[in-house]
Amino acid sequence: MASFSLNVNNKQYTVEADADMPLLWVLRDLLDLTGTKYGCGVASCGACTVMMDGNAVYACQKPVGSCVNKKIITIEGLSEDGSHPVQKAWQKASVPQCGYCQPGQIMTAAAMLQKNKNPSEELIDSVMSNNLCRCGTYHRIKEAIHIAIKEINQ
Amino acid sequence: MKKVTIDRRHFLKITSFSTGSLAIGFMLPGLSALAIPLSDCEFFQPNAYLKIDKNGKVTVFVGKQESGQGVDTSFPMIVAEELDVDFKDVKAAIAPYGTLKEGEHDTGGSQSVLGMYDTLRNAGAVAKAMIISAAAQVWKIKETSCAADNGEVVNTITMQRIKYGELVCKAALLPVPKQVSLKSAKDFKIIGKPAKRSNLNDILTGKTKYGLDLKIAGMLYAIVERCPVLGGTLVKVDDTAAKKIPGVIKVITYKGTGAPMHVRAGVAVIAINTWSAIKARKLLNITWDEGNKNKESTEALFKTFAAKALTKPQIDVFNKGDVSKFAGNNEITATYAQPFLAHATMEPVNFIASVTGEKCELWGGLQLPDWAVNTVSKECSIKKENIKVNLAMMGGAFGRRLHFDFAIEAVKIAQQLDKPVQLVWERTDDVQFQPYRPANYHRLKANIENNSLAAWQHHVLGTPIAYMTDGPNTKHPEEMDGANAGFCYNVPNVYTGYTPVDFNINRGWLRSVDICVNTFPVECFIDEVAEKLKKDPLDFRLSLLENRPDFKTGEGPGSLTQSPARIAGVLKMAAQKIGWTAARKPNHFIGLATHSFIFAKSYAAHAIEIELLEPKKFRIKRVVAAIDCGTVINPDGLLNQMQGGLAFALTQALKGEITVTDSRVNQDGFFSYELLTYEEMPPVEIYIIDSSEEPGGVGEVGLSTVAPALCNALAAAGNRPRNLPIRNEGFSWL
Repeated sequence: MASFSLNVNNKQYTVEADADMPLLWVLRDLLDLTGTKYGCGVASCGACTVMMDGNAVYACQKPVGSCVNKKIITIEGLSEDGSHPVQKAWQKASVPQCGYCQPGQIMTAAAMLQKNKNPSEELIDSVMSNNLCRCGTYHRIKEAIHIAIKEINQ
Repeated sequence: MKKVTIDRRHFLKITSFSTGSLAIGFMLPGLSALAIPLSDCEFFQPNAYLKIDKNGKVTVFVGKQESGQGVDTSFPMIVAEELDVDFKDVKAAIAPYGTLKEGEHDTGGSQSVLGMYDTLRNAGAVAKAMIISAAAQVWKIKETSCAADNGEVVNTITMQRIKYGELVCKAALLPVPKQVSLKSAKDFKIIGKPAKRSNLNDILTGKTKYGLDLKIAGMLYAIVERCPVLGGTLVKVDDTAAKKIPGVIKVITYKGTGAPMHVRAGVAVIAINTWSAIKARKLLNITWDEGNKNKESTEALFKTFAAKALTKPQIDVFNKGDVSKFAGNNEITATYAQPFLAHATMEPVNFIASVTGEKCELWGGLQLPDWAVNTVSKECSIKKENIKVNLAMMGGAFGRRLHFDFAIEAVKIAQQLDKPVQLVWERTDDVQFQPYRPANYHRLKANIENNSLAAWQHHVLGTPIAYMTDGPNTKHPEEMDGANAGFCYNVPNVYTGYTPVDFNINRGWLRSVDICVNTFPVECFIDEVAEKLKKDPLDFRLSLLENRPDFKTGEGPGSLTQSPARIAGVLKMAAQKIGWTAARKPNHFIGLATHSFIFAKSYAAHAIEIELLEPKKFRIKRVVAAIDCGTVINPDGLLNQMQGGLAFALTQALKGEITVTDSRVNQDGFFSYELLTYEEMPPVEIYIIDSSEEPGGVGEVGLSTVAPALCNALAAAGNRPRNLPIRNEGFSWL
């Protein structure tokens, strides 16, 4: 075990963990930030997506040792009250069913739109296909992404 | 307006909601109010389903478990309608386990709204009646001079108003009315209007706590290595390397169980966090005795199905007329096959258990908590009354959490620990060790006489769920919904039968269950018969539905009366909206399917248009669904279920498949058990048939007709797939 200093949602945390513990479990088990979800552990579903230095990353693939000096944003830190344009768009399109995958979906979409305010349909398809939803809310995710694009370009 | 007599069962057991001096309400026997000093009153709780605070906020206690189907919204809508309050002032809360009567927490089979509609309307109407009585007392006027209006009572003589919240303490002291009136559908202000999910913002900000997110003080984590073959036993385990992982507390073992849940023998690593347990698990060195059922394969299973399909079914299920008269005459036959499937909920199953002395406390998502408690009690030798259950939000269920194998495992582990423990299933465990939707195979036969369909035979072969839950001596292994008396087409001579084949992996109920299993072959084969008769598939179906009177889906109390007119109604709607009779672009083809749903009085049909790009390559251009589920509570929730149901069903049609070699599942996660992705979701339009019939259910009705509509479109384009997933037949898609 070693000590790691992490910047999560603009707060500094110190955690004791093995260097190979994925950020996913650091967030969930050590920091009680359970908005980041466990879905597969092997980069196949996107439920654990967070932002690291502005990029969408799978938290299950980032050993805590590699997260020091990075700026990590989780769903809890995207906005305090759900007022981020992507969250608002998800609200407007009434996207979720069970909702378990949605924090990951939102983080993926938010990171994409932060880099590119007008992504092509092809880019959206490709980026959003990294996140699975078993309830099948893809139709509404598409709707929400277009609401968000409109909103951030106003 | 509808008069309803109050049944005492609605007022059971409310005490467990209440705390200290706030124990108010109406309890058996006598249906009279408790005498409570008004100064102690904070809220009014006329029954187990709802509570009204002094500030007018209403809480609806939802017995049905939330897994994404939206009961946390539809239930409050139903109450708010009858109570005459603003829907925004109504919040849903999970009714604590044990506060409702037996069975009321059971969640499945699209029954939630159907089963609770009247009860919740009554609950709202009773509360409103009592609040009105209280207002009448305050104003010293007749109740008939009072009217409820959006959370306030209006004195219709003076037009004074009092808020509900100000009346709750008085209302709490009044007797429960023996009879209340319910609104007419034409007066509905909330039911039937689209509403957003009540807990939407919590989901979108990551605040919602699913079972996996719960933390109990002192809790440890367990990851389990299970016997790779069902029924096998542990010989020995070397845990030396595993125990060296920092954070690992201990390694414990437990035995498997038989019916109903078939828990596999397991070796559990207990650690202070999930990751340490995951790491240590990989270092366990285990010797298993696999038993003698360790050589089974799906390849051999489907060969057995194919051979047995040619013999007489083991169980006669439904017989009408005499199909034998037509043997060999102008006959067409076809066989269809569908694989085992995994539920693959996005939240892998998990469960928290704490065992202290004789007491046991549980936390997690369960669709059938009563059955779970009874079975845990038996398997783990804990008295039922000593088991406390805390139900949690489920990150998807689809039938997976009707099973509670994981709950038994968690208790077996907790019995060997002095702290609470959370059992976590890794995704590999979820895909490899779950109760799978049974593999199935169908042989259909039709005889034509005088240019019409004279005889229909359907032999269903499957690996029945009941062999697992009840044991192989079960009296009713057959899984025949939609292919029994519920077969919807009016054919003069019909015979259906079932042949069970045992197989050594566990099975369970998957969303739409055998309706989905049997609708696929029925709706494809009816198209094949139409083709043989050179009839239009829409006209042919309608000719077999339109003059048929309502029919029963079976014998006994569980059977429903189904309406062929409504089955035809949704089909016509889907066909019309997709432009069935309109000119089609080159290389564009449409397939249709409708069905008899059986679980509830809900009806749905699909029409799917494809563009053929190469002989076996296509793009889905449009999907049109029509649904008739009677009274709609929340149209937005309905649309979400239908849209999502399409995605769920397309996964099954296109690529979902579990295969088995040496009694082991070959798939181990989402890379090998693939789900539909965002970019594969086709454009979808849903049309709702306006109806004031009783509410049906919408969680499952939108699945079964997707695969046959797609396969019928592909058949129209020149190549009919008869085996799912169609990827195995060489199809690909954009």
